[in-house]
Amino acid sequence: MLSAAIRAHRWWIVATVVLVGLAACVPFVLMPFYVRVGQLILLSAALGLAWTLIGGFAGYWSFGHAAFIGLGAFAAGLFEVELMKGQPLLGFGLGLLVGAGVSAVAAALVAWPILRLRGIYFAVAMLGVSQVLAELNNNVDIFKGSMGLVLPRIAAFGLRPEAVFYYILLIATVVITVIAFAIKNARIGAGLMAMREDEDTARMLGVPTERAKISMFILSAALTGALGVIYAHSLGYITTSSVYRTEFSLNMIVYNLLGGMGTIIGPFIGSAVMVILTQVVLGQLLSIHMFITGALLVLLVLLAPKGITGWFRAGLFRKRAGGAE
Amino acid sequence: MQLLVQTIADGLVLGGLYALSAVGFSLIFGVMGVVNLSHGAIVMMGAYLAWFMWHALGVDPILAIPPVMLMLFGFGYVYQRGLIQLAVERSSHVASMLVTFGVALMLRNLLVLVFSPDLKSITPSYAGHPLVLGGVVFDPLRLAALASSLVLLGALAWVLQKTRMGRVIRATAQQELAARLCGVNAQHVYGLTFAVSAAFAGAAGAIIGIVIPFSPPDEGLWTMNAFVVVTLGGVGSPQGALLGGLLLGIMSTGTSQLIGPSFPNAMMFAVLVLMLLVRPAGLLGNAFAGSR
Repeated sequence: MLSAAIRAHRWWIVATVVLVGLAACVPFVLMPFYVRVGQLILLSAALGLAWTLIGGFAGYWSFGHAAFIGLGAFAAGLFEVELMKGQPLLGFGLGLLVGAGVSAVAAALVAWPILRLRGIYFAVAMLGVSQVLAELNNNVDIFKGSMGLVLPRIAAFGLRPEAVFYYILLIATVVITVIAFAIKNARIGAGLMAMREDEDTARMLGVPTERAKISMFILSAALTGALGVIYAHSLGYITTSSVYRTEFSLNMIVYNLLGGMGTIIGPFIGSAVMVILTQVVLGQLLSIHMFITGALLVLLVLLAPKGITGWFRAGLFRKRAGGAE
Repeated sequence: MQLLVQTIADGLVLGGLYALSAVGFSLIFGVMGVVNLSHGAIVMMGAYLAWFMWHALGVDPILAIPPVMLMLFGFGYVYQRGLIQLAVERSSHVASMLVTFGVALMLRNLLVLVFSPDLKSITPSYAGHPLVLGGVVFDPLRLAALASSLVLLGALAWVLQKTRMGRVIRATAQQELAARLCGVNAQHVYGLTFAVSAAFAGAAGAIIGIVIPFSPPDEGLWTMNAFVVVTLGGVGSPQGALLGGLLLGIMSTGTSQLIGPSFPNAMMFAVLVLMLLVRPAGLLGNAFAGSR
């Protein structure tokens, strides 16, 4: 299935490789501010993709994925600060594994009960889980959530930190894109999308729904956790409120909605549009920033319920149908 | 022993507020299946309207409740017919959640712009003369707050059970198609439900203003409280909201007394998740649209 999918999408893959090549040149060409914007777009797109594994493919909209960003960030942070003193690079490498691992374990613990809920109930339960974890992180002293945690610097040797994190995020985004592409075009991807349309029918037709959604939830959590570790390092200093942010959870949904739910290019389009709009175009209007973000959200759901890719697709079909007549 | 009674008494006062602030949320969820994430923002609007009337016009906050309710009734109707209905038709119920979140952000930003982000509180003349009954301290302000919460909840239960509007709302909640076949204008009923919900959120806001200092970012907290109350008590009925609210109030004061003052929130959300897993319909579960 996968090799056929690669053949079918060969021009997309060529385009992706060219784009990644172009993206790799960005830090040499653009000013540091735009490199930071690019960093944010990559982070957002990668988070959106990690979310879409369970949200877009299987239709389980998690409203609490920020929990995994926070878990990953604090697990890796505590690990590096307590156990890996003086070895920032090795610590960061192992920290990625620790962050992803802790997120995956936490997801595995809640997966079975929580994935029995559907629709809004699942969304709300995930919101609740992320709030519980945030409160515990903030109030139990050994996690240092309210005091904050200073992470070791990994951008040593006089390298520009924004370029270093740009490249780390670029690599992470490529890895997650490959994973998402492989899953979407494998047997499990077909099963997930069947579940999204009608879970009971999919189950009746022999899709192992329970196993598929649990494994996807854990994978999605692990990837989000690893991204949380990278994000924490790019901040340098983390507290509960800087990583357990409900906006993160909601933004992951917004990027997918804006780009196109359940597609791979969707989160990229969505995050590019949102980040450029909110950071570059509206960056000066801090006092009404929230108002405009809210208004954008409302307009988005009302005007483009299927996202930007949905618009294009509708246009394409209309043209084709017109040509056939 | 006295400590226990005091904790429960404080919990009950707080619980009355929780119940009133959640009842509108519960109604919308029960009748339309829409999760209104801007509910807390509407509560805050009520608080600021009452504050403005007290501060600028000298109106007693309890007397300010009816005009606040009237204003937010209109706001709720327009909001539902103008935005929510469109979102539900064009997209899905889960996506309408994003619309309400967007509106919450807009309202919060507007409140900050108009009233500044500082803490505000409403302090009428009769504030601060505690009443001691058998060693347990009651603040008359808080008692007035609890009493008005209970009266309003009773009024809503009466409206839903006895009046024509209430009957139509309940019928639409049970089965929209059947209600429409009987000549009910379902769109209008949804608008009315939202309006009633916003009115009660506003009343809750006015009462919250008397009891607790408030600022615009609190809206998130009140939305979350409403969530927990509804999942505890059950969707769609004032009785469920009352039970859930009182339980949450006692739980909240109890947790801060027994475990530590920084843990009520963690406890609250843990209970929320547990309740969803064990009994998603709530203690007094009602099989309305949202919980099916």
